[in-house]
Amino acid sequence: MTRYIIRRIISVIPTLIGVTFVIFMFQRLIPGDPAIAMLGEHATEESIQRIREQFGLNRPLFLDREALEDGDIAGFFDSQYFRYMDRLFRLDLGESIHRRIPVLETLTLRFPATVELSLLSMFLAVIIGIPVGIVSASRRNSLLDSVSMVGSLVGVSMPIFWLGLMEIMLFAVILKWLPAGARLSTGIEIQSITNLFLVDSLITGNWVGFKDSLSHIIMPAIALATIPMAIIARMTRSSMLDVLQEDYIRTAKAKGLGAKLVLYRHALKNAALPVVTIIGLQAGTLLAGAVLTETIFSWPGIGRWVYDAILGRDYPIVQGGTLLIALIFVVVNFLVDIVYALLDPRIRYK
Amino acid sequence: MAKTAPEDIVVTDFAVREHRSLWGDAWRRLISSNTARLGMFIVIVFISSATLSHYFWKYEPKKDLDYSLKLKAPSLRPTEEIDSIHIFGTDKLGRDIFRRVVHGGWNSLRVGIVAVSISLIAGGAIGLLAGFYETITMTTMERLLLFGLTGLLLGLLSAWIADQYFQLILFFGLGITSGYLPELFAGKIQRMSFFGAAGFLVAAIPSFFVGLNIALICGIWGLFVGVLLSQDLDGKFFSNVMMRIMDMILSFPGYLLAIAIVAFLGPGLGKGMIAIGIVGIPVYARLARSAVMGMINKEYILAAQSVGEGHGRILVRHIIPNILSPIIVQTTMGLANAILSAAALGFLGLGAIPPEPEWGAMLGDSYRYLTSGAWWAVLFPGLAIMLSVLGFNLLGDGLRDALDPKLRM
Repeated sequence: MTRYIIRRIISVIPTLIGVTFVIFMFQRLIPGDPAIAMLGEHATEESIQRIREQFGLNRPLFLDREALEDGDIAGFFDSQYFRYMDRLFRLDLGESIHRRIPVLETLTLRFPATVELSLLSMFLAVIIGIPVGIVSASRRNSLLDSVSMVGSLVGVSMPIFWLGLMEIMLFAVILKWLPAGARLSTGIEIQSITNLFLVDSLITGNWVGFKDSLSHIIMPAIALATIPMAIIARMTRSSMLDVLQEDYIRTAKAKGLGAKLVLYRHALKNAALPVVTIIGLQAGTLLAGAVLTETIFSWPGIGRWVYDAILGRDYPIVQGGTLLIALIFVVVNFLVDIVYALLDPRIRYK
Repeated sequence: MAKTAPEDIVVTDFAVREHRSLWGDAWRRLISSNTARLGMFIVIVFISSATLSHYFWKYEPKKDLDYSLKLKAPSLRPTEEIDSIHIFGTDKLGRDIFRRVVHGGWNSLRVGIVAVSISLIAGGAIGLLAGFYETITMTTMERLLLFGLTGLLLGLLSAWIADQYFQLILFFGLGITSGYLPELFAGKIQRMSFFGAAGFLVAAIPSFFVGLNIALICGIWGLFVGVLLSQDLDGKFFSNVMMRIMDMILSFPGYLLAIAIVAFLGPGLGKGMIAIGIVGIPVYARLARSAVMGMINKEYILAAQSVGEGHGRILVRHIIPNILSPIIVQTTMGLANAILSAAALGFLGLGAIPPEPEWGAMLGDSYRYLTSGAWWAVLFPGLAIMLSVLGFNLLGDGLRDALDPKLRM
């Protein structure tokens, strides 16, 4: 197992380098000069030059062959990319061009909001999706099965931003049960420990805060959970159906084991593999889908922040935010592979 | 299944039975499924309404503007206030939403089709070749090409540093030599040192005329390239490199990558298509590769090889027809996804440029009016997205059942 993990860690490294490379390229290739974005259209040539000097924007992108021609080997590597990698290793993500706040600082503030939303959505998707899948598979072709499968197909086809808007229309505008946006109502305070408001308010026993943050998070969480929920339900069903046709299931039934026991102990455990993979893959999709959900519900997370930054050409934010999301994605996929190997010993020896 | 009356049964003599092709069978299975028929119906309605309206129902988005009709609720018959009928209501500029939804279909479906074509062609080709050479040994010509191109690509760096592009020919030659003479210096260490040294010289000698430092750096790079070229590169190497690149694209969450690509290219429908297309490439590459690998060890491939068929012919005649069914299913579902992504980009203001009707952009345009009660401006474009996506998904599901009964979900 240890060898397998080490092998997987090594195989993640090129991907990580590729990710930093692509993010760097995007940030530099996006049309528009960051120096002008920083100073405004009417900046003098001189001040633009100064800013470029200051942020290293006047350096070549990757390698400086002119410095090498002058005999300066250190200068050869003194490029935007290597400076960027160097800063990255020191966890220096730069500061926002427009607001002059360090990116890392905002990131640590906004990240918990996205995490809270994604975790709750994933939780909803799993606790609803898996049972629906199991029940559909065990009562194949029943009315329940047809209804849940058509329902899940509708779920997969749902544009989540539209679903979010419909929720707002129904629950916030017409019924006025739930607030239409933000994380907390004004006037309510939650002592920050983890910055996950639901957890913090529970720890401190702040019931008012818990109720309020729950009423804010529930609509975006449902919108975000719909697609993963539908996908998990379909995957669980098809994977269970595959497993239920295996010989050992027939053997277990023939031995006289109860139907429930066979279903949960024998079938579910073996059907779990593809489901775990799908859950892992959906975790990344959730984080990215947060861009849309956060925009609709004015949720102060990183998705919306990165989107605003792309439109405003605030490169350090784009770079920091995408890097974080891609990193999480890579790490989650890595964890999925490990869980996979734990569940199925055959994989380790491939 | 419906009961069949005895007189309906037609007894056919097997010898004269009408020829039934694989695709004919699949078609019969497809139209016998209710959900697939529903899907097909929805898809046909959307495609025909979009195409017909595009060609026969003129609409000029730039001139469509009437503030007196701003945000009117849906009406089925003319009233004293409004003398025109707007079954879906009007939007913030007084434009008829029904008309824009119908015309928006042309843009939304087009984005889906073009984007999926991009991912299908690029991803399919990559996956096909990767899966094929993963198992099948390359011919000498293909090996030489692989070695030569690897040398050429890696040599680019050295050539750029020294500003001597003729170095590319030298690197290409080095690759060819190594590929052509696998027996030269058969010992692993000897071979590595020989080609390492050769790579060093190939890069360093010409660069020396530019400068000492440049010669040093290029030489070190040349050494590295030479050592790599001395290895026994084969189809597996090619397949691995391709799949690592695909993994890299996959390690970006879809929407975010599409948004980043559009940010780089600038907003617009065409750019959105390219962005969504690029994001989809790895899916098809992986699918095609695993489909090829699943059937490459079949006897008929071996038979084709042993009668001396060329690799190109085997790919086109024997492999592509046999991996078509998973690809067709994925393409149909991919269309659904592409329409969703296009709508998401449009919603964020990165797709179609404003007066142009597009479902996602229409939603993005009017969702701010939701709190003031204009539900119709949000409901109908969204419904159009959902229904068209659902149509493709239903059809894809049906196709999967029809084309590959073993995979039935």
